[in-house]
Amino acid sequence: MDCVIIGAGVAGMQAAFSCRQHWPQKTVTLIDAEAEVGYFRTLLPQFMVRTLAQSKLFFWKPENDPKLVVRSGLRVASLDRSNQRVILENGEKTAYERLILAPGGRPIVPGICARSSCDGIFPIRNLASARVVQKWLPDHSHIVILGGGLVGVKTAAHMARPELSVTLVEKEDQLLPQALSPRAAALVKAHLERKNIRIITGHSVEDIQVQGGELKAVQVGAKGIPCGTLLVAAGSVPDVQFLKDSDLLVKGELAVTPALQTSDPHIFAAGDAVTIQRDGNFTPWTWPQAITQGKLAGRNCYAKDPVQLNAFSRVNSMNLDGLSLVVLGAPVMGAEAVVYSRPGEGICRELFLKNGRIVGGALVGDISGAGVLHAAMNAGVEMDITDEDLLKPMSRALRQISIRCSRPKRRALFK
Amino acid sequence: MKVIGVHLDRCTGCKTCELYCATERGSNSKFLLRSVQEAPLPQARVRVEGCNQVPVTLQCRHCRQAPCLDACLTGALVRDPETQMVVIHENRCIGCWTCTLFCPYGAIYPWPQRGIALKCDRCLYMENPICVDVCPTRALELVDVDEFEALLHGKRAKLIQEGTAFKKDGKMLLLDLVK
Repeated sequence: MDCVIIGAGVAGMQAAFSCRQHWPQKTVTLIDAEAEVGYFRTLLPQFMVRTLAQSKLFFWKPENDPKLVVRSGLRVASLDRSNQRVILENGEKTAYERLILAPGGRPIVPGICARSSCDGIFPIRNLASARVVQKWLPDHSHIVILGGGLVGVKTAAHMARPELSVTLVEKEDQLLPQALSPRAAALVKAHLERKNIRIITGHSVEDIQVQGGELKAVQVGAKGIPCGTLLVAAGSVPDVQFLKDSDLLVKGELAVTPALQTSDPHIFAAGDAVTIQRDGNFTPWTWPQAITQGKLAGRNCYAKDPVQLNAFSRVNSMNLDGLSLVVLGAPVMGAEAVVYSRPGEGICRELFLKNGRIVGGALVGDISGAGVLHAAMNAGVEMDITDEDLLKPMSRALRQISIRCSRPKRRALFK
Repeated sequence: MKVIGVHLDRCTGCKTCELYCATERGSNSKFLLRSVQEAPLPQARVRVEGCNQVPVTLQCRHCRQAPCLDACLTGALVRDPETQMVVIHENRCIGCWTCTLFCPYGAIYPWPQRGIALKCDRCLYMENPICVDVCPTRALELVDVDEFEALLHGKRAKLIQEGTAFKKDGKMLLLDLVK
């Protein structure tokens, strides 16, 4: 067995494609705990409410490549690094020459939900639970979504349908507390409320009432909310329990170099499970990062000189059923805020600058120029930008970037 | 591989390319006067950005290492194996705008009314790109990537000869960026 990849989420899949592309003589074996693999996890909210056809959910055709073997429904128990073998929970041992760890995350289920052994509580994470929710929803239309992060907000937006009653519960005082400023979050909240979604911030689910083995209601703060479906979107943690005896974990985290190499030169890692050690720890947990890391891990696993990851950003983008939203980075303490806001029209564009360089920001309602601003942030371009410039950022931002790009080349011509 | 090159020194910012792109590629009627009455209003895949003194015609550069291809959540953006163009399969696009966020040129545009992202595909299935055909100043030109170096060399030599390189410092030669 040449290359073994643990986890067939998007990072694992991309690592497999990339490994096959760069090292065509090597066979690749993907091992995943789920029965179905190769689907877009980010599309599960649409799939649950049947606004997305099943055919659009999958991105991989297993018959494409005979040297790419997928073994689904198998959970890894541990690693035997001295003999270079992966030990599965069914006792089977699989030898590897190179190993790529892409196990992803597992959902955080708060204690009150984990302790209740009733039907109707579902973590939003994988396709198996999404299929159950899809069948469950028509008879249990009162929904509470626990967690106002990106997954919770996105799920709520797609569930805003006349036949469903949706309540979104966030324990912090605003939605998307790790991504947006209070000003931008207020627009997202107003948008969801216009779609008849009830939003409760500053509280969590404190009690659960069960009747006949099924969820009946939840208590949020002092209020009791009738509820047949509780969707848990309280975040996720790296699923690295099987590595606890492998010496690959640093303080419980799967630490890798910027070239995605672990402390074992034969083992690489990518995706939601990794912590990249570079000027402090970096854990992006976004879909584009998972793809980039997967591709790099597949390329690096047999390379003599592994290439380092060069994009370290936590940007994200989504369409909340009519409200476009781009997150360039969370608010930064001590940064200068440049803001263009038209709250009546649901528009708020803000950038956070330190020493003239973009370190974060968000575009809500109008995302024009997002790509250029993102590129300027990644390149560390010193920007001269004012509140008014955000009205139409392309002219200002593009000009500032383009001049910087063209100047050195033209000067070189005259040497 | 042929792409659309932009002679920024010839571009006057008249936006004729925008009008015809939206009409030909975005409308049902394919006639300008009818298309402006359509709903949703047809959108162009090429845009003239920048300010009045320095108009910048922007369309997809079909980058060899295209960040949008990595970013696309649904696999709607793919590279056409024959022509190497980055094209969008509109039926797979869900309008999440991740490609918009990752395009460093800002050349992928959201079309919220239709819930899809718009990008130039160089009018792949037409004889010539419509923007190239209609540009009144010939600022847009269809060029082969392999001929770029020769084209750039000639252009630079001319600029140096005329001594105008520094005078036009603000005028980016967009062809420079596509190698």
